[in-house]
Amino acid sequence: MQGTENPNRPATFGEANRDIIRVLLKPSMGWAALFAISTAAMIYGGWCWYLQLVYGLGVGGYNPPVMWGIYIVTFVFWVGIGHAGTLISAILFLVRSKWRTGVYRASEAMTVFAVMTALLFPVLHLGRAWQVYWFFPYPNQRYLWMNFKSPLMWDVFAISTYFTVSAVFFFVGLVPDIAVVRDHSTGLVKKIYGVLALGWHGTMRQWHHYMAAYGFFAALAAPLVLSVHSVVSWDFAMAITAGWHSTIFPPYFVAGAIFSGCAMVITLMLPLSYAYNWEKYLNLWHFEQLAKMCLLTSGILTYAYGTEYFVGWYSQNPYEWGIFYWRATGEYAWAFWLMVFCNCVAPLPWYIRSMRTNPAVLFIISIFVNIGMWFERFNIVVSSLAHQFDPAVWTSYWPSEIEWGVMIGSFGWFGFWFLLFLQVLPAVAIAEIKELIQPPTKAALGAVEAK
Amino acid sequence: MTTLNRRDFLRALGITGSTSALSACGLDDNWYKTPVESILPYVVKPDQVTPGTYTFFATTLTDGPTGRSVTARHRDGRVTFVSHNRFAPGRPAIGAAPLLELQRHYAPDRITGPRKGEAAISWDDGLAALAGAMKQSVEAGKKIVFLGGYTSGAMKLLTEQIAGDYAVRWEPLGYEAEALASEQVFGTRQLPFYGLDKAGYILSFGAPFLGGWGDADMEERYGTARDPNVGHRVARVAWVAPYRDQTGANADDWYAAAPGTEAGVARAIASLVATKTGATDVATLLGRVDVAAAASASGLTVADLESIAANLVSGEGIALPGGVSGSVELAAATYLINMALKAPAERFHLGGYSGLIHSTDELDEVLDLIANGGAGVVVVGDIDPVYALPDAMNVADRLSKADLLVSVSSQPTATQALAGLTLPASGPLEDWGITNPREGLFFLRQPAMTPVHDTRSLGDILLVAARGAGLEPAVPAGIPMPTFAAQDWAAYVREFMDKVVAGGQVGADARWIDALQKGVFGVPRVLPPMLDAAPIAWTEPTALAGGLILHTVAHHLVGDGRYADQPWAQETSDPLSGNLWGSWLEVSQAWAEAKGLVRDDLVSVKTPTGTVELPIEPRPGLRDDVAVLAFGQGHEGGGRYANGYGVRASGLFAEVASGAWTPAVATVTGTGGRGTHANGGIVTTMRSTTFTDEDRAFGVHVSAEKLAAAGDAPAHHPGELTGIHHLELDERLQAKGETYENFYLPPDHSTYRFGMTVDVNACTGCAACVVACYAENNLPVVGRERASVGKQMNWLRINRYWEEAGGHDDVKFVPMMCQQCGHAGCENVCPVLATYHNIDGLNAMVYNRCVGTRYCSNACPFSVRRFNYHTYQWPEPFNLMLNPDVSTRTMGVMEKCTFCVQRIRQTKSAWKDQEGFSAVVPDEVWQNTPACVEACPSRALTFGNRNDEAAKVTQFAKSGRTYEPLQELNVRSAINYLAKANFHDDPTAGHHGGGHHEAGHDEAHAAGAAHGHDAEGGHHEAAGHDEGHGKQGGSAEAHGAHGEAHGSNHDEHGSAEAGAGAH
Repeated sequence: MQGTENPNRPATFGEANRDIIRVLLKPSMGWAALFAISTAAMIYGGWCWYLQLVYGLGVGGYNPPVMWGIYIVTFVFWVGIGHAGTLISAILFLVRSKWRTGVYRASEAMTVFAVMTALLFPVLHLGRAWQVYWFFPYPNQRYLWMNFKSPLMWDVFAISTYFTVSAVFFFVGLVPDIAVVRDHSTGLVKKIYGVLALGWHGTMRQWHHYMAAYGFFAALAAPLVLSVHSVVSWDFAMAITAGWHSTIFPPYFVAGAIFSGCAMVITLMLPLSYAYNWEKYLNLWHFEQLAKMCLLTSGILTYAYGTEYFVGWYSQNPYEWGIFYWRATGEYAWAFWLMVFCNCVAPLPWYIRSMRTNPAVLFIISIFVNIGMWFERFNIVVSSLAHQFDPAVWTSYWPSEIEWGVMIGSFGWFGFWFLLFLQVLPAVAIAEIKELIQPPTKAALGAVEAK
Repeated sequence: MTTLNRRDFLRALGITGSTSALSACGLDDNWYKTPVESILPYVVKPDQVTPGTYTFFATTLTDGPTGRSVTARHRDGRVTFVSHNRFAPGRPAIGAAPLLELQRHYAPDRITGPRKGEAAISWDDGLAALAGAMKQSVEAGKKIVFLGGYTSGAMKLLTEQIAGDYAVRWEPLGYEAEALASEQVFGTRQLPFYGLDKAGYILSFGAPFLGGWGDADMEERYGTARDPNVGHRVARVAWVAPYRDQTGANADDWYAAAPGTEAGVARAIASLVATKTGATDVATLLGRVDVAAAASASGLTVADLESIAANLVSGEGIALPGGVSGSVELAAATYLINMALKAPAERFHLGGYSGLIHSTDELDEVLDLIANGGAGVVVVGDIDPVYALPDAMNVADRLSKADLLVSVSSQPTATQALAGLTLPASGPLEDWGITNPREGLFFLRQPAMTPVHDTRSLGDILLVAARGAGLEPAVPAGIPMPTFAAQDWAAYVREFMDKVVAGGQVGADARWIDALQKGVFGVPRVLPPMLDAAPIAWTEPTALAGGLILHTVAHHLVGDGRYADQPWAQETSDPLSGNLWGSWLEVSQAWAEAKGLVRDDLVSVKTPTGTVELPIEPRPGLRDDVAVLAFGQGHEGGGRYANGYGVRASGLFAEVASGAWTPAVATVTGTGGRGTHANGGIVTTMRSTTFTDEDRAFGVHVSAEKLAAAGDAPAHHPGELTGIHHLELDERLQAKGETYENFYLPPDHSTYRFGMTVDVNACTGCAACVVACYAENNLPVVGRERASVGKQMNWLRINRYWEEAGGHDDVKFVPMMCQQCGHAGCENVCPVLATYHNIDGLNAMVYNRCVGTRYCSNACPFSVRRFNYHTYQWPEPFNLMLNPDVSTRTMGVMEKCTFCVQRIRQTKSAWKDQEGFSAVVPDEVWQNTPACVEACPSRALTFGNRNDEAAKVTQFAKSGRTYEPLQELNVRSAINYLAKANFHDDPTAGHHGGGHHEAGHDEAHAAGAAHGHDAEGGHHEAAGHDEGHGKQGGSAEAHGAHGEAHGSNHDEHGSAEAGAGAH
């Protein structure tokens, strides 16, 4: 049946090695240009944040009681992006899904960098960012502890755990491939990769331990896919703010996270596949699977949106229904309908096979989904706060230039790390690709020579 | 060579590291830093000064008819707050004006010393110049002119002794129409006293008696009139004017008379009343009155007028005159209404204010004298006629014709800018004085601190100059009075007290000191009004037409412009529009819609004398042919907070005709531009719709009749009059036989559970509480730009809900501050425990622990937390005004109301010192603890300990009209609101908020209410309230026993006592 096998795989181990390591040798002009843009955006974001530190958070567009703006929106966006990587690398590994091999390395890198990006925002958005260490339970004379009842505290633990586990899992997966790179390099570079490869030689015994460890980390990472974004959703669901205070949030957020993450994988890897001539490793077959994941989660999201509105209406709670009604009809209605279009309507063409195997359509829809998912968080964060319980304080919020700058900076920061990753580490898991290739036995070699 | 061992190395590292870290703290002004200040002890402690303790001085800040005796709280050489004076008559409260005076005292742009033109000179030179000019003036046979605001008592005498008949007492939005009408009707130029507290029906023709108009205790008396516990009556307020301002918004009935016809309406009502009461003397004075013609000209019906007259007669009514634009004729007609009502003296009498009140015409004559070269020296006091009078009156030109124009104002003003000589007088906190706000009552003023700048008392300036010029007192010395021979102004004041006030009885030091300590002397004298009028030439009413009829009103805090340089006045939201820092043209919503204009659209307002451009504020409560522009903004020669904000209203008016600002006919057209007037966070006026206030129960009303009958005695079911059906969570569970489980332990409030009740029925929206909060808690002022995006720092705001009830617009002012929730949304979410629940039930806030996640604010359903977006500055000498008991907050920190926890601490500590360590502070001691409660002039706020069963606050929380906004969130707030009385709608009558009733259908109403009530009992599912109650009490005890003491006796409104807001 179509879809269970990569129809277009490399022929030999050596070809796989060459194809994937080839891109690490010399940066292309395109890479350099993107890297320069990313770095510039990152520096610009840093400058904006510096201004915010100096002059205070008032440089943002906050309009009380809208006390959270696009920093938190973007924070949730990036945490969500991260989820697809772990889903692909850990959960799909555990269920032995073959299509993950081509995309999992890059998506896992995406996870690590997205979480790194997300981690910036809890610091960036603080009124007194220099006191951020108060979030951590460090021993102190005055027995000052944090508030373990606060969802933000749970966030600190959830996301730092997530980052640690993803980073370790990412690195563990890299070890055999780093060894391949080490074997293909010389001089100082070889030394560096040699250290990173942790003395990997590909012995039977090493493989035995390695696979056990990898499975263990995968098992450790898998529940995080569900837990981390649930915890993030509690930032909202645990507060009594109407529009936030909802039990549907954890599954709704997790589905949204996977949705946005898979779309982001398509957005990042589709151009990559063509730019690096990696059709053998990353091709429409992979993207089709991702598109299917998106379709599933898009359906869940659509259902969740509907449920929110149904419950709001059915409760006849004036605050609850008030905020949902206003969200769809008020000042931010455009953002709401943009979200509905991008998340519920735009992926629908993917139900048609030719649409989910068309690179242009795949790419465009994935962009829509990214936009839609950013606006979903915008709707949740901003519109709920702008229309809280007391009608006398209803207001509106629009981000300031500084906030946009910091957000752009976060994309630059992500791009910086991701591009760096593409240049220094194999973006496709060589070892796992090889598992799908006919092993270089004598019979196989004979067959190749006979050709 | 010595070796550096490990220990020494670490030591050196520690020292250098921490030193550099410390020094880095003060590097950059913008960077987060702790201000470095040196605290030095006294080497020799001055007498009577104990650092860290307060000294209280009874004194008087405002003069004239609104004079109010206050207590200045002095500490460490400066006054930081003014409180009520408990020796003053009436129920003590301060209102906003004394606090604005306090801020004015420290205004950064005050004139710091004498000046000749722009150049600084010495006081000796300045006084010599003034004395010389006076001398020359007398020698040349020219007049010495003094122009000042309303002043009574010693200063009035001194200026009269110097300038004689040319001591002019005039204010731009003063009481000249009222005074002239009094002359016309009663034969004496003074202001009547209105005993609102004794009235059951208050009729105002535009007099903003809740917005600073009238004497200082007006709002207090209104609060009493609205208090259902006093005389089982809630006074009904009727408002006959083409627009509703803040006072008019409080009215129960609005009669939108066409502009220009109010006097005719008043006269018609007077005649109807006179017919009813048989007051023939009044009827004679009124002449022939055509009621139907008056009604039709005004757009009202004869039935309206008859209903007003009937209410006046049956409801112990009182009539108040017009406001800024009210004519002399209107004032005279209102006096005649009161005379026709034969109101007892306690309700209406003369003697309200008998200081001098000059009309603009009289000022005009003096200006003519100056213009014709008849004045040698013109001394201008605390008024700014150049700013305040219409351009057409050429005030600046005429004043400049004086040989020497002297300003004694210490505030920069447009008039002061013209002065050849500026001799800045000390402010009221730095000066002596004695004023006479009402007949027989004297308030004393004494310096509460040394002058902030190099200023001198106005009395001293005038005395020294008069002596230097060798003047003879211009007032015949028939009776004993102080003279220029007085050693100084303080001696003059004491002599005035002794000779004029007390008839030689205060000679002894002890008596003088006693009077000074109390700040009050004498008792108000009641002068029964006697008609003493020649036939009055009435004009027939004709409505003004030909465009939008532009009215001006006093800005709610800036007033006539005197407080324009006070940032508190600028940054406190306008009670109706929420706007701040500027001017806006209020127009009706229908007019704006017809013109296709929306809020903030710029319009050009053109009258025959001027044109201005400003944004519009469409709102209900205005006739479609009327526009309102607040007076007091648009300064040019003022201080930094006054200059450039808003537009100057007086430029649009031709002349102040016979005592009032006659409305101008204006052409208003949209310019296509958009204005950016700052809004303080109140959204555009709301009507009841499904998603606004009606379902949210922030502003709630009850039937006035039922409220009057029930009062605020604990009701069988608290809140039963409101018609709100909130089941408490636990009651619902108990009904099902389940127990109340809570994951967290209930807060422990073993001794105190501080709470408050807010009487929406008494709140007038005056914002005195907001200003007091600014003063007490060192709230920073953020300025127009930041306030325009809602970043102002007021912990307390006044919500305004403008809704329909019973077919009438019902406006509710609902002060909203931290509710000190028992289960607060904010406390749980703070990641660093910067906000926590303290043992007294306060949601305390540790500023230094806050990292600025702002999560608490998002989780606060009342949106009452404020965030320091920047480190705000207090330009010198505002820093001297900071309350030393409250820290100032730096950038990135959340802040909030804590019921003035510093005052609670002081009260507790003082009580401990007095009564022993474990003594519980009794209710009466708590009464005035938070600054807002202390400031509220209508006594809408009540503070106390809700663990104390007998406390007022606990009792009020059980009344039939109590409600808690957002009660269904189970946040267990410590503030109960008391619903507003409504004469048109009874929410328990089964048509909640529907409002299909017409006005005046009282019988039908009562019947409907009774019916609805019965129906209610039927459809309610709860088995029976009594039974439910008993059950509840029992289970509460059970809870207490197993530690889940949700309903324990300590809980603030535990189910056992409160029995739920359910009905």
